[in-house]
Amino acid sequence: MNKTPWYNKGLFSSLNLRQKTLLTIALTALVLLVIFISGTMINVNLPTDFATRMKPPSFEHLFGTDWMGRDMFLRTIKGLSLSIVIGIGASVISSIIATILAFVASMNKYLDSFVSWLIDLFASIPHILLIMMISIALGKGAFGVIIAVAFSHWVNLTRVLRAEVLQINTSEFVALSGKFGKSKLWIAKEHILPLVLSQIFVGTLLVFPHAIMHESSVTFLGFGLSPHEPAIGIILAESMSYLAMGAWWLAFFPGIALLIVVLLFDIIGDNLKRLFDPSQANN
Amino acid sequence: MDKKYIIGVIVAVIAIIGVGAFALGGGHTEHAANELVACVAAHGEEPEFGFDPMHGWGYHDSGTEPLIQSTILKRDKDNNFVNDLATDYDISSDFKKYTVTIRDDVNFTDGSKLTANDVAFSYNKSKELGEGADLSSLKEVKADGNKVVFTLEKPDSTFINKLTDVGIVPEANYNEDSYGQNPIGSGPYKLAQWDKGQQFILEKNPDYYGKEPCFDKITNLFLDPDAAFAAVKNGDVDIAEVPVAYANETVDGYHMEYFDSIDVRGISLPTQMDEGKLSEDNITIGNNVTGDPAIREALTVGIDRQALLDGALNGYGDVNYNGVADQLGWSFETDYKDGDVDKAKSVLAAAGWNDTDNDGIVDKDGQKASFSIYYNSAASERQAIAVAVAEQAKEIGIEIEPVGGSWDDIDPVKYSQGVVWGFGSADPMEIEHQYDSRVAAVGYDNPGALNDTAVDSLIDAAMAQETNSSYATWSQAAQQATSHNPFLWIGTMDYTYFVSDDLDISNSTHLIYPHGGDIWGNIYDWNRINETATE
Repeated sequence: MNKTPWYNKGLFSSLNLRQKTLLTIALTALVLLVIFISGTMINVNLPTDFATRMKPPSFEHLFGTDWMGRDMFLRTIKGLSLSIVIGIGASVISSIIATILAFVASMNKYLDSFVSWLIDLFASIPHILLIMMISIALGKGAFGVIIAVAFSHWVNLTRVLRAEVLQINTSEFVALSGKFGKSKLWIAKEHILPLVLSQIFVGTLLVFPHAIMHESSVTFLGFGLSPHEPAIGIILAESMSYLAMGAWWLAFFPGIALLIVVLLFDIIGDNLKRLFDPSQANN
Repeated sequence: MDKKYIIGVIVAVIAIIGVGAFALGGGHTEHAANELVACVAAHGEEPEFGFDPMHGWGYHDSGTEPLIQSTILKRDKDNNFVNDLATDYDISSDFKKYTVTIRDDVNFTDGSKLTANDVAFSYNKSKELGEGADLSSLKEVKADGNKVVFTLEKPDSTFINKLTDVGIVPEANYNEDSYGQNPIGSGPYKLAQWDKGQQFILEKNPDYYGKEPCFDKITNLFLDPDAAFAAVKNGDVDIAEVPVAYANETVDGYHMEYFDSIDVRGISLPTQMDEGKLSEDNITIGNNVTGDPAIREALTVGIDRQALLDGALNGYGDVNYNGVADQLGWSFETDYKDGDVDKAKSVLAAAGWNDTDNDGIVDKDGQKASFSIYYNSAASERQAIAVAVAEQAKEIGIEIEPVGGSWDDIDPVKYSQGVVWGFGSADPMEIEHQYDSRVAAVGYDNPGALNDTAVDSLIDAAMAQETNSSYATWSQAAQQATSHNPFLWIGTMDYTYFVSDDLDISNSTHLIYPHGGDIWGNIYDWNRINETATE
């Protein structure tokens, strides 16, 4: 099954696989960076202009305007950049949790079964339910959403890392280091961590799209942020009320933009995996 | 794994478009001419405890129609009191005793006779549960033959309003847990069916003693605003209440009718400084920015209300400067120009608020003129008001952060930050709830914690005066109170309805429209215009 994905074909086919992968990563990262940086430059309280409310897309307002006359393009970009911030926060925190738990599990068999139990416990609760409960308990707001998403997305990565650490632990050089009297901490730091670092890195990036989707789901359901703040979920939820009036642009553009951002992260993650883990590059 | 959520998004987008397409298309559903299908309700909400007046059904702010039950008095289109169950009433000269004679020809829909005992029971029960009308001044109520005697704790000339507020339930077999599902009343309609979360169906009460309504059956749907508008587009309903955002739409076969209401929107501004004072339920009272009268005055004169209403309410509203709607007997004029930014700036400067650090926001003694305005995120007009006020305030150098949330989020800050409120009762007792220092920071009363004994004594004086002459005193009390600007009043909002072209809702006989009011008050005058047109 030697099938290169669509984004590695065509225009850049003269480049070798490694160059193409790097180029893809650089380009997608650039787009995301541009969205993020321009988002941070937009004030949360977007200017309203009731004279131009509910206007369909035009050159002046690329994505149209909403019921308070706010420019939907700015609102969408701001919403996406908020999604990215929440995505970064959540995936970094969840990777840290996953790493710590994976190493804790490798200490002894009691801790290992405890971590396995914890994984099973969190995996058995539907994500969206967990996110809602945690974000309410933490007093809502962007902080609550970040922590909630972080605390529900470490499960898969932990499972992968735990298995990896377990495998490395049985290798001869680890046993040898132990015989030489090296502490467990030293082994973890010097032998195991460098080997799983690429897994952690790729795992972090692959949590990203999950985190963004879940962030927009909870804000769509009305948990988390004030309804005048620009989050993609809020924008989509609000657009529902105006669809009957024919204001399709309120849902269409933000929805497509969200889809694109999620896809971009997915592309970066896939390509990074290919770089770090050449043995799977052809999968 | 990685494609799963991408597919999820695509499905979601398609679903949204599908729902939209469904809402836009569809055909007309026919129903008989003597049946009315409506989508209106007080606040657009389903009553949580069913149709039980003891739990607040038929009452939000004084002036609503319970339909299933009768009340002692009703209001007419000019807001005068007219008899419903009463044949006569007498008020003692000290306004502490109200004696009402009850008609003796009224039966409940279960066939039993409605007596003075049932009336007394209903008022006692309503006071005991405390979920509907404000009966705080009522000491006791007793039946005496065909008369009911209300004895009050203190003189209260506004109590006559309370005689319109409580639907009468039968004492026999009344059960406060189950009555709401199977209400027995004596009003023009009886409940035929209640599908929770969907609709209720009323049928005409054949034994009703008053004017017979035209419609034999009323089906009222509980729909979200967008679904209500979609129902109008489909022709599924005869009348639907829609938010003002939809008011400029046109639909074939329907016309827009809107009613000026006395439902006024205002933002409470804590009048006291935050000195660590707590309310009875341990909520902080006061704010160091709005506690300065200059800040409150600057906002009151500096906000351009007309621009705000044109935007936030689509123009369906009237500017209001003092919280008392023009239709009420105790309304009064306010003598300042709206949106006077220059004056607002000079008021701030005179009080020592200057922009020392050139960030566009004034400050004084190291305190930046910055506070939050909370709004109920379920109400889009309140969101628009909060956001638009925040934007306008920036021009006069005051920084306002709008924050949306549920009432659970708002409660902990309701006495220490700005909150967007809706008020509007046909009962002048509202003034007491808004400004009296004795109810300062109690529940939703006097959230700005205004403390002015002159206001209190004017309120006491008004309560001891005959209803009509008391209005001047109520007006004085409100003027005295608004001179401190405990609220930033914005305007009254109109209620907008899509009405089928073959339905006459008798626009000329509508009752006064309070906060959380409904449109049923003149159901007796509604009619089909051309009965052959429907079927």
